[in-house]
Amino acid sequence: MIELLGAWAPLLPVLFVALGGLGLMLVDALVKDKAELAMGTFVVLSLGAGLALGLWNEPVTAASTELFGGWVAADRLSLFLDVAICGGAALAALLGGGYLREHQLERGEFYVLVVFSAFGGMMLGRSSDVLTLFVALETLSLGVYGLVAFRRTSPRAAEGALKYFLLGSFASAILLYGSALLYGATGHTDFVGIAASIEAGDAETRLTILAMALMVVGLAFKVSAVPFHMWTPDAYEGAVTPATTFMAVVVKTAAFGVLLRVLFVVFGDDMLSAPSTGWPRVLGALAAITMLGGNLAAIVQRNVKRMLAYSSIAHAGYILVGIAAAASGPADAGWSETALSSVLYYLLAYTVSNVLAFGSLILAGSHGKEAVSYEDLAGLGRRHPAVALPFVLGILSLMGFPPTAGFFAKYYVLSAAMQMGTGMLWLVLVAVLSSAVGAYYYLRVLVFLFMKQPEPGAVVAVPMRSLYVVSALVLSGYFVLRMGLAPNAYLEFALEAARTFG
Amino acid sequence: MSTGGELLFVVCGLIAVVAAVLTVSLSNPLRSAVALLTHVTALAGLYLTLHAHLLAAVQLLVYAGAVVVLFVFVIMLLGPGALDSKAEPRGWVSKTVGAGLLALVAGAIAFAVGKVNPETVAIPGCPDGQAECSQFGGVNALSAAIYRDAAIPFELVSMLLLVAIIAAITIARGRTRDEKELTDSVDARRFARRAFPSDAEAPLLNPAKMSTGPLRGQSDEPSAAE
Amino acid sequence: MDIGLGTYLSLAAILFGIGAVGFLSRRGILLQLMSIEIMLNSVNLTLVAFNRWNPSSHAGQVFAFFVIAVAAAEAAVGLAILISFYRLKKTVESDRADLLKG
Repeated sequence: MIELLGAWAPLLPVLFVALGGLGLMLVDALVKDKAELAMGTFVVLSLGAGLALGLWNEPVTAASTELFGGWVAADRLSLFLDVAICGGAALAALLGGGYLREHQLERGEFYVLVVFSAFGGMMLGRSSDVLTLFVALETLSLGVYGLVAFRRTSPRAAEGALKYFLLGSFASAILLYGSALLYGATGHTDFVGIAASIEAGDAETRLTILAMALMVVGLAFKVSAVPFHMWTPDAYEGAVTPATTFMAVVVKTAAFGVLLRVLFVVFGDDMLSAPSTGWPRVLGALAAITMLGGNLAAIVQRNVKRMLAYSSIAHAGYILVGIAAAASGPADAGWSETALSSVLYYLLAYTVSNVLAFGSLILAGSHGKEAVSYEDLAGLGRRHPAVALPFVLGILSLMGFPPTAGFFAKYYVLSAAMQMGTGMLWLVLVAVLSSAVGAYYYLRVLVFLFMKQPEPGAVVAVPMRSLYVVSALVLSGYFVLRMGLAPNAYLEFALEAARTFG
Repeated sequence: MSTGGELLFVVCGLIAVVAAVLTVSLSNPLRSAVALLTHVTALAGLYLTLHAHLLAAVQLLVYAGAVVVLFVFVIMLLGPGALDSKAEPRGWVSKTVGAGLLALVAGAIAFAVGKVNPETVAIPGCPDGQAECSQFGGVNALSAAIYRDAAIPFELVSMLLLVAIIAAITIARGRTRDEKELTDSVDARRFARRAFPSDAEAPLLNPAKMSTGPLRGQSDEPSAAE
Repeated sequence: MDIGLGTYLSLAAILFGIGAVGFLSRRGILLQLMSIEIMLNSVNLTLVAFNRWNPSSHAGQVFAFFVIAVAAAEAAVGLAILISFYRLKKTVESDRADLLKG
């Protein structure tokens, strides 16, 4: 199969997912009833992840490199992101299969948009040119706007989509302006060419710094770092929960992947870790306010979905700690592989934990009645222990409690930051403090699940019965525990991907 | 640059700025759309001064011919609803301060990039009588650049357009009959709960959409009122 | 008058600023969408101007082509969201999007 594709082989996962999406469209159009699109989507996306894993040890031929001409990269980082994106999207599709049917919203467009957005995310992860970056980012974003506005009868969905669209396209315009200035400063649009031009000192320094600032701001919007996070809670709350899951796991993973590439490939040693530019400190400050802002805002939420949205902002902050740590290494020693691999490991752990938490929230509601507020969950653990179990696991993992994936994710990121010396110590302190703050609202979910009882006469949530949701929970729960009990294999996986940056 | 080019630049540049200001400041969206049309046309003129002839034509085709028409179409579709615009809620102080700050940032960027002034670079021309030569900004050269060199992003754009079509249909398609029948019980319940969150005995906002009885073992109808 | 690259870039920066101010200060969604179009157009002007002074390849003009395509797609999706929003809320003011708070 691989020989058959020849030089195209490194693009196999992306091509497969794109063709799979087209196939699903045909199935949706031709098969009128009982098309198990959720299952089809799951199969397509998990095969995409499998193909990416299968290509892991395949050497990239010179013919491929020439064929791709600098537009897309063929390296282990992109394969790693493929696995994370396809895996997260496949689980979100499973959740959608249960949720949409239960709430009578099932329409084929949902799955098609999931597959095509995942395709956009995969292209974004491997984009190696500002032009590909922009187009792939828009492919991802336009699909996600459609997913957020999916529930056409809901004013909330329209509102969330509107806010997300307006701020998202504003951010895209800023990112694009940065890309244009970068092209002007260096005369190249491909990352390698830009990096070479910056290294050779050909680039206009003032323009390059301006371009880098604009690009970082644009990408910070996409990963929802404070103060560019305003759209996040609204879009997360307005969207149907499987779409929220998709946004939380896929959009964030893809955006962080490309942020890594932009920071460490494009701007590289000369811009990023040169002491005069102060970028590590800027990234550290961004991480600190993101962690604090996300965690503090999450405390006051009364809506669990909104709380999880703010928690995803806080997690973006923890990931940024790893990035800041990687950026603040010594300039000539190459990038700290430990720090970069901790970021990638965090992305994996974050994906499975979030699927678990959102999936449990989906499982807790049925028949058009979603569990959304804390009160909806009151006493659920007593009445339905089987439903509460994945919820507890997901919450503990998001909180960073051993032995779950989330614990090691935080541990690796923080120890990578510690290794960078005393300059990062304050950031570690902020991270630990804000995690302690975060424990409050995570534990509150557990308190409501097990120690509260619903008020008399209040509407209580009745869990749905759905094989789709249950299998998504079992899969993500397995990985949460596996990554918590035996993290080494996954860390090694992340480390091999991080070696891309050299 | 020739004198004619300079004249074109000055005229088109002025029109572009004035039209942009009008676009964002007029209160009637229809007038804004016309100002936007003027703006994109002036930009096409600027592209001409930059040896981007094909791009100028495409700018007219796509922007003037499609995007602005799409805007006008939507304004007409919404009818008077698109036009009613109540007084801007923000005070003039915060507006002026915000605009001033942004103008400052834009001015700083303009100052920073304005200093970039390399020597005038001659456009590589064609020797007389050479038919195969492709000119800078012309159809031959650009189509080679797009369809041959940039084939991968081009294919990516085709996927982008497909996604945009699906997304737009998903969002804006009229509600099906089923959906009209189906009350949005999820939202109805949220609204109902928001009314008197502390008072369990308070009347619910929309009892028809609520299920007030015990939920376990209820019927399949989401809107079944007990 | 000396018209060089800097002149074009300054003009584009000013247009970008006008678009950004319009986006942030206006509340009509249609106006905000048009402001985004102005911003994208100013980026195109930047790209083409840079390409004029670096004519060894067509990278800038090609980029501008793709931006035009993306901008059209974005406008279509944005207007679709606007129509959906208008159907449900009967308004085109983005500050009337006030259901989601917290």
